[in-house]
Amino acid sequence: MSTKPELVKLIDTTLCTACRGCQVACKQWNEMPGLRTKQTGTYQNPPDLQWNTWTLIRFQEYLDENKKIHWLFRKDGCMHCTDAACVKVCPSGALHYTPLKTVGLDRNKCIGCKECVAACPFHIPRYNASTDKVYKCDLCYTRLTEGLPPACVKSCPTGALTIGEKNKMIKKAYARVKQLGGDANVYGDKFVDGTHVIYVLQYKPEVYDELPVKPSVPLSVVIWKDLLKPLSLLGAGGVVAGSFVHYMLHGPKAPPPEGTNEAGKTEGGE
Amino acid sequence: MRKGLVQVTDGKERLGHWVLAISCLCLCVTGLGMMFHSFNFLGTLVGGLANLKMIHNYVGLIFTISLLVMIRMWWREAGVFVFPEDMDWIKAAGGYLWHVDKVPETGKYNPGQKAFFLVVAIFGALMVVSGLIMWFPSVFPVGLVRWMYPLHALGFVVIFAFFFVHLYLGTIGNPGSVQAMTTGWMEKPVLKMLHPKWFKEMEEKGEFIEYGVEPKPKETGHH
Repeated sequence: MSTKPELVKLIDTTLCTACRGCQVACKQWNEMPGLRTKQTGTYQNPPDLQWNTWTLIRFQEYLDENKKIHWLFRKDGCMHCTDAACVKVCPSGALHYTPLKTVGLDRNKCIGCKECVAACPFHIPRYNASTDKVYKCDLCYTRLTEGLPPACVKSCPTGALTIGEKNKMIKKAYARVKQLGGDANVYGDKFVDGTHVIYVLQYKPEVYDELPVKPSVPLSVVIWKDLLKPLSLLGAGGVVAGSFVHYMLHGPKAPPPEGTNEAGKTEGGE
Repeated sequence: MRKGLVQVTDGKERLGHWVLAISCLCLCVTGLGMMFHSFNFLGTLVGGLANLKMIHNYVGLIFTISLLVMIRMWWREAGVFVFPEDMDWIKAAGGYLWHVDKVPETGKYNPGQKAFFLVVAIFGALMVVSGLIMWFPSVFPVGLVRWMYPLHALGFVVIFAFFFVHLYLGTIGNPGSVQAMTTGWMEKPVLKMLHPKWFKEMEEKGEFIEYGVEPKPKETGHH
């Protein structure tokens, strides 16, 4: 498996027509139920990612500098970071890197602590209280290992979703950006050591709803896992060793010899 | 038990101490099971890591209650530094680190014990607050929740360090002192050495409760 090439899924937002075939295919392949939803005055449905909705087309009306309106569609979902905050914080090893370098989730191991929910810079993992587990896209790992594209890619009728060898896809993305011109840019290859899902965006990242401009593993996670965790072992070992050395070199405090003790006499009660 | 012993703690103090100590240790162990993948096996012992999390959370509630009781019970005696005598003791490091001919005398609790009390009180409260937010993260803003994890880890680093020094100094580091938290009765010479000022005060006031000695008439009920 490890000899398989590192894969990257490219989401070319400029080719997306928001048919939401990917949303449906994802649900079908992963056997996730549909839940009662709410009409919020947009085609975006459900309103947000949910434990049962691992990918979602975000609909957005964007007014550019010339007051011209654009309808933006962005497929949201797990970015499969190379340096994934969720994997870093997961206490049980439920969230892990697969041999394909994507981020897998072994739900049997999940203890529902929700640490990944707070850690993820993209706000992807969603918690289901009734199962006490967290859910997210696994880039259809079982399909990938069989040489099949993820369900979303398979369903995409416009070519907005494609998957392939990492370097090839990044090259393809940059070629597309060059072709588009303007503010068009590639999103994903430059942070968290590169994501395994990258976007071609027509506009600057700050234009898009719910898309972090500079995503990173949160500083709190770095301090916690890279500093305090080793420090806790060092500190615990230090005091144990220190106490031992103290006992050996300085020794315990002992009361003065019997003769100098007058306490009994002055009390007069013994 | 025999004559020559002085009662230094009552039953309520010892019970509070041990509920806090045992719950704290239990939290350390179950917490480690979740902090390090190499300690995940501790979860297997209780039927899975999810159970370990549940034990950690509910023992945390016991810890919270005993912490509050302890703070209420001891903060007057152990939570307030008295100057200048406490400063003199600190300058001599209580005679624990280098040779001191005569350790400066302090009240019932010396500054080292007071520091331990304050660390447990303050960092214990930090553990309770950060722990509760980690238990119910969805009702708090994510920017706040994120910082609770490193704070919780920091609390462990500090509390464990102080806990172990406390354990050492309360047992083999000061022979004869552990009885204060087991039977509650300490040997007079040990007491006089470790708490000389308090010893003298109690002696002068005649407030010692000595084993086998009838208390002074103004006191009632103690034997």
